[in-house]
Amino acid sequence: MAELSAFLKEEGISPALLQKVEEFRKQYPVQADCASRVPDPEYLYYGRKTWELAIAAILSGNHLLLAGPKATGKNVLCENLSALFGRPLWNMSFHVGTDAASLVGTDTFDGQAGSFRPGPVWLCAKKGGFGILDEINMAKNEALAVLHAALDFRRVLDVPGYDRTELRSETRFIATMNYGYAGTRDLNEALASRFVVLNMPVIAEEDLGKLISRRYPSIRPKLRDQFVKLYTELERKAESAEISDSAVDLRGLLDALSLMAQGLSSGDALEMGIVNKSFDNYERGLIRDVISARIPSDLTSELVFEA
Amino acid sequence: MIKKQYTGNARRARNIIWNAAGRYDFDPPFMAFFANGVPDTYFNMVAGLVAKWLDLPSILHFFLEYESDHRAAEFDDLLWLGLENCVYEKELPERPHLEALRKRRAERFYEEQASYSRQQMAYQSMMVYTQQEFRWAGISGRRRPLMTPREARMAEALRFSGSLGTEELLTEMRRFLMDFFHYDPGRSREKRGIGANPLLRAILRHEGNAKDRLLVRMGSGEGNHPKAVQQRHIRTIRRSDPTEKDAAYIRDVFGRSLLSEGELRILERELCIGSDEGCRLWVTRGDKVETTDKDALEVRESAARQQKKNEEWFREHAALLSGSMRALAAKLETVLSSYYMHVPEMSRAGRVRSEVVWRLPVINDNRVFLRSGEETEPELCVDLLLDASQSRMHSQEVLAAEAWIICRSFEKNHIPVRVHMFRSLRGFTVLECLRSFGERDSRALLRYYAGGWNRDGLAIEALARMGDGHSAHSFAGAGSISSGSAFGGAGTGFSGPAFAGMDSSASVQGKTRFLLILTDAAPNDSHPLAAEGLNLPKEYEGAAAVTAAQEAVRIVRSQGLRVGAVFHGNTSHLENVHQIYGQNYVRIRQASQLAEGVSELFLKLMRGGK
Repeated sequence: MAELSAFLKEEGISPALLQKVEEFRKQYPVQADCASRVPDPEYLYYGRKTWELAIAAILSGNHLLLAGPKATGKNVLCENLSALFGRPLWNMSFHVGTDAASLVGTDTFDGQAGSFRPGPVWLCAKKGGFGILDEINMAKNEALAVLHAALDFRRVLDVPGYDRTELRSETRFIATMNYGYAGTRDLNEALASRFVVLNMPVIAEEDLGKLISRRYPSIRPKLRDQFVKLYTELERKAESAEISDSAVDLRGLLDALSLMAQGLSSGDALEMGIVNKSFDNYERGLIRDVISARIPSDLTSELVFEA
Repeated sequence: MIKKQYTGNARRARNIIWNAAGRYDFDPPFMAFFANGVPDTYFNMVAGLVAKWLDLPSILHFFLEYESDHRAAEFDDLLWLGLENCVYEKELPERPHLEALRKRRAERFYEEQASYSRQQMAYQSMMVYTQQEFRWAGISGRRRPLMTPREARMAEALRFSGSLGTEELLTEMRRFLMDFFHYDPGRSREKRGIGANPLLRAILRHEGNAKDRLLVRMGSGEGNHPKAVQQRHIRTIRRSDPTEKDAAYIRDVFGRSLLSEGELRILERELCIGSDEGCRLWVTRGDKVETTDKDALEVRESAARQQKKNEEWFREHAALLSGSMRALAAKLETVLSSYYMHVPEMSRAGRVRSEVVWRLPVINDNRVFLRSGEETEPELCVDLLLDASQSRMHSQEVLAAEAWIICRSFEKNHIPVRVHMFRSLRGFTVLECLRSFGERDSRALLRYYAGGWNRDGLAIEALARMGDGHSAHSFAGAGSISSGSAFGGAGTGFSGPAFAGMDSSASVQGKTRFLLILTDAAPNDSHPLAAEGLNLPKEYEGAAAVTAAQEAVRIVRSQGLRVGAVFHGNTSHLENVHQIYGQNYVRIRQASQLAEGVSELFLKLMRGGK
């Protein structure tokens, strides 16, 4: 947490907001049985404004919906927020088969009688955690209706035949969604109205540079800048609909760097991390053109990283 | 922005430009390609960087200012060298890899030059070439060419600095043209009084025919060269139709025509219409005429040299070629077995033969009937058409050998085969007969050599017109030469010595005709496509030329010919071959595939594929 706070100060986040976060943490200490659920993030989210908006939303008691295209750092921000506020995290990946029982809980048999086995939403409510509703628009809207009462002013979960519980004051739900993915649908208006929505911006060049430097401190700055520009160029090409956004993959770029750190040549690493994310032969050619205009294909680990 | 739809290499080139420019909101006015059609990555990047660092509309306007000048292509090439240096210096700090890309482009320059034909070299301005060589030699660490003081000053002047802004750069470009060519774009335009009217400027473009000479270059011959040779169209479209001087040149180079002047005229009236308007035809057997024309003599010498090389290659690979021929002949025999017809013979019963029925009462010969005999013969004949344009330069020996294999294989199966090679030059499409139906000697195919352009569509239509002999009249069966013409009666008209005994008319009449074309499916001619309406003529190349060839194939198929292609070209032209010939083509990469490929293609055509 100290490291995260220092990072946020460095990023120029409003001290007043950070002060309120500190007060929140003191007010709502984490319960011992779920302390291990408080994440220790590997990646940090870069973007001062987004940080401030998200912190303000959480502090004001709202649930947050992070909407944005692929690789804008939605899940990274979720983890970071959970770590900053010191809350245990329940991560729920939504899919078309997600139903109320898988979220709230289900009946089970304890050897003598039927009993309730709480689901992640229930536990999150009881333990005062942060629930990540990942790719919320992948699930059918009917399955999400169960959350309506929990997410609005009632802050309550009622399981028929079992119990009714109120959400603890520190409980928050953070949903993520991407309009573009195959299989996604428009979010039910009733559900959307229960969140404050934060449109996630595409990561800025400067922030991406910082992200890479943090992950790979030994990367040579000049080359790091080239990788950043490469990512931006791919992003621009996808925005212009010349390629699909399958190759605009931040994770892929970071993976390629880790492959280079393992000793693969830059050409091979970028081929695996970025080019091959596209399954269209012609498109792969266009992506290769972008890469070859920026990055030599024969860079070795020694050239990319300082000793 | 509404984007045009581009495909293939053009789309790739645009993407490279947009990427370098860092924006996608413009339609690039310049694109760079290598001779084989692949985008020139580095120069497309340069074009993109010009859009990034300079004011593109101003630069474009400058280029348009001198567009109508006959030296425009040279100015373009030189000024792009200058721009290259300018944007390179600007971009390098942001893109260190550019240095390596530039070096790679310099190496590519030498690779490209090595693959250029003499004809391409003839089109290349030596001044531009020297400047390019000087630039790329310095970058690739090679020895720089010796230059005159003027050339050295020019090279120095073309190193436009990266510190220049658009206006300063334009001033430098103007100064360059003024200092070295005494040319002021703005003033020259006013002086000519044609102003900014692009239509007028385009109409005033002119290219003389004198440059369009046939130069035969010796390629690697083995067909193993990685790069395809594609002739480059010089910037302006040649609009003048062939003259008598051109006809004399064609006669000197290729020999006298088998058709008389009048016959050629009628054939041209029939065929040189639509997109081929203004073109001429020449049909020859290569019978040389006396000439003192140096170019013609040079071509003859080159052709003779190539024939020797073909023969040498043939001798060296004789065993392999004979094996391939036997394999193809065997496969064809299987394919043809269902197509053999029993030759009718005279008998005492059967179908009465009216023209000899008099023999029964007069000489008491009762064998006036026809019945199905024991002997069989296929009722078909094959025309083999060889693309002999410059683009086949690196495959001459292989193509000659393949033609021999195909020809001999059909011959072994008693199928009449005729072989022509075709090329275009100075607006003439020349069909040169290497072997006619009645001939037995296939070694004449080794006369094959590559040189010139190829107007595939016109060549295909012209060959389709050639019936059993080289006479237009004998094509009457296809029905488009009017009966009122000089060639009206079948078997009448010209029966001059040139045709006598060349082909027996029985060899084709009533038979199903097959036309096999050995092609790289890259039609390309210096004579433009005829203009439609008020539009300006377009070059006979690329998609337009492919469409013209496709139309020609469609026409001859509708006349009953079964047309198929033995494709021997680049992957980049696969789309073309598919467009022109539909499913009826086979791709051959080496002679060993010939038996399988050609028999398969032939079977497809036999089954009725038109």
